[in-house]
Amino acid sequence: MTVREIGSESATRLLRIGICAATLLAVPAPSFAQTTGGGAMPPHDQAPTQTPPDQTDYPRLKIVGFGDITFNSTKYVEGPRNFAEGQFVLHMASALSPRATFFGEVSFTPRIDAGQGSPPATGFNAEIERMILRLDHSDRLKVSFGRYHTPINFWNTAFHHGAWLQTSILRPEMVQFGGRLLPVHFVGALVEGAVPAGGVNLHYQAGIGNGRNTVISRAGDPGDVNSKRALLLTTFARPDAAYGLQVGGSFYLDDISLSTGQQFQEHIVAGHIVWNKETPELIAEVAAIRHEQSVVGPPLWSNAFYVLAAYRLPQFGKLLKPYYRFEHINVNAGDTVFQSVPDLDMSTVGVRYDAAPLVAFKAEYRNWTRGTGSVRNYGGFLQVCFTF
Amino acid sequence: MAGRIALARTLAALGAGALVLSLATAPVASQTRTDIAVVVHPDVGVENLTLAELRRILLGDREFWPSGVRVTLLIRAPIARERDAAIKNICEMTEAQFRQHWIGKVFRAESPGGPKIVYSTEMALDQVARTPGAITFVEAGLAGRNAKIVKIDGRSPGQSGYRMK
Repeated sequence: MTVREIGSESATRLLRIGICAATLLAVPAPSFAQTTGGGAMPPHDQAPTQTPPDQTDYPRLKIVGFGDITFNSTKYVEGPRNFAEGQFVLHMASALSPRATFFGEVSFTPRIDAGQGSPPATGFNAEIERMILRLDHSDRLKVSFGRYHTPINFWNTAFHHGAWLQTSILRPEMVQFGGRLLPVHFVGALVEGAVPAGGVNLHYQAGIGNGRNTVISRAGDPGDVNSKRALLLTTFARPDAAYGLQVGGSFYLDDISLSTGQQFQEHIVAGHIVWNKETPELIAEVAAIRHEQSVVGPPLWSNAFYVLAAYRLPQFGKLLKPYYRFEHINVNAGDTVFQSVPDLDMSTVGVRYDAAPLVAFKAEYRNWTRGTGSVRNYGGFLQVCFTF
Repeated sequence: MAGRIALARTLAALGAGALVLSLATAPVASQTRTDIAVVVHPDVGVENLTLAELRRILLGDREFWPSGVRVTLLIRAPIARERDAAIKNICEMTEAQFRQHWIGKVFRAESPGGPKIVYSTEMALDQVARTPGAITFVEAGLAGRNAKIVKIDGRSPGQSGYRMK
């Protein structure tokens, strides 16, 4: 039995488990509502009514937005120049019942080629970034379906499209939106949960879905590009004994079909360690990507990592947080899948200033090269970001 | 009191949050400082929580009681001592960090919404008694006889070593 056959059987088994779990989850919701007097969870952040809410209170939709404007100045032009609008993001969360919730995220991204005609006009691209229906059975078991940010690394699932949430101006390039190194989006189903495990607080996420499209930066939104489903497994721990610490790892398995007709098997192994208090804040992630062409060719490995260190200063009303990040990407030159994906060595030093509870300014200096023989580039960047 | 709550809600809707808070918290501010009691709905089958469990509830990492009922977190508006005690002593966060944590929590699709705000001790006790799975924080001296108070790390309010102050 080959690895792929095992993967396919596992996929089918996972799919069956998911369907069974979803069926089970559908049962307790109404019975819970009956035992609690009819939909007991009043809306959050709202003044309560004098009578307990009932099922007619659903759905309860909440919308949160994020936006940012950045000023860019680099020695050699790479990316936007001067002022650039960031993504305008709308996030929706809607409780559909005490145990069912919908989450959605829509972004509007400025592009130089969004319009039609020649030359293409600038404009905005709208994108459904996430669309998730989640059914909660308990803290130990939650099942969801939809389009996700692939939960195989920390940054991709901690900050999403909210620049205000993250310390630095940009995401690390290994998880950049539109990047090709790691699959940023994932369409399918997830089973997740957490168990106390004696204070270790072990979390897990197991997923099955469509892998990358022929354009590998894109997910298989309209359907999978091949018959092999992508599988992922992520676990991480948040031990009580070290409040603020998160340590975890992930495994991702997929088959890639390029537009040239070439087929590759993709394995990704990733790990992270995070200390998410701000005195200090430390995030380190590493990922190794293995591609093996069907029938021919040896497996080729590429890898990437980054380390971010920040510290919220006790002075100045705790409004300033200086930070430093180093990131590295090393792409195997013989990897056809990552053809034209550049190497990277980049240092970023910056400071975040929380000017208001929901508004932050960031200033950064970056210095980077893109592999042996490339020209060193550097630049200064300013950003104002906010949530509303 | 009901009139003051209604006024508070009206002003909150108009964006006069600071004024609302000063009105709503005035009686509490004049109380002698006592321990903060953790009060749950009478049907919650829990008598004791560890500090870590309480922290996970406050941060939304624990969403269900052992019975399967969803946790509804009721917390006072900013400035109230009960809120400060919970955020600083249990979560070890500032108000801004707590707020950012919950915005991120909802944005990460980990929770459908943040904590539910209550504007007075009376409202907190009323809502916790009527909402299955609810948990809130009130001055121990104001909790009343009918409130179900859970121990923290085996200690009740007033006992030495009690952490919610």
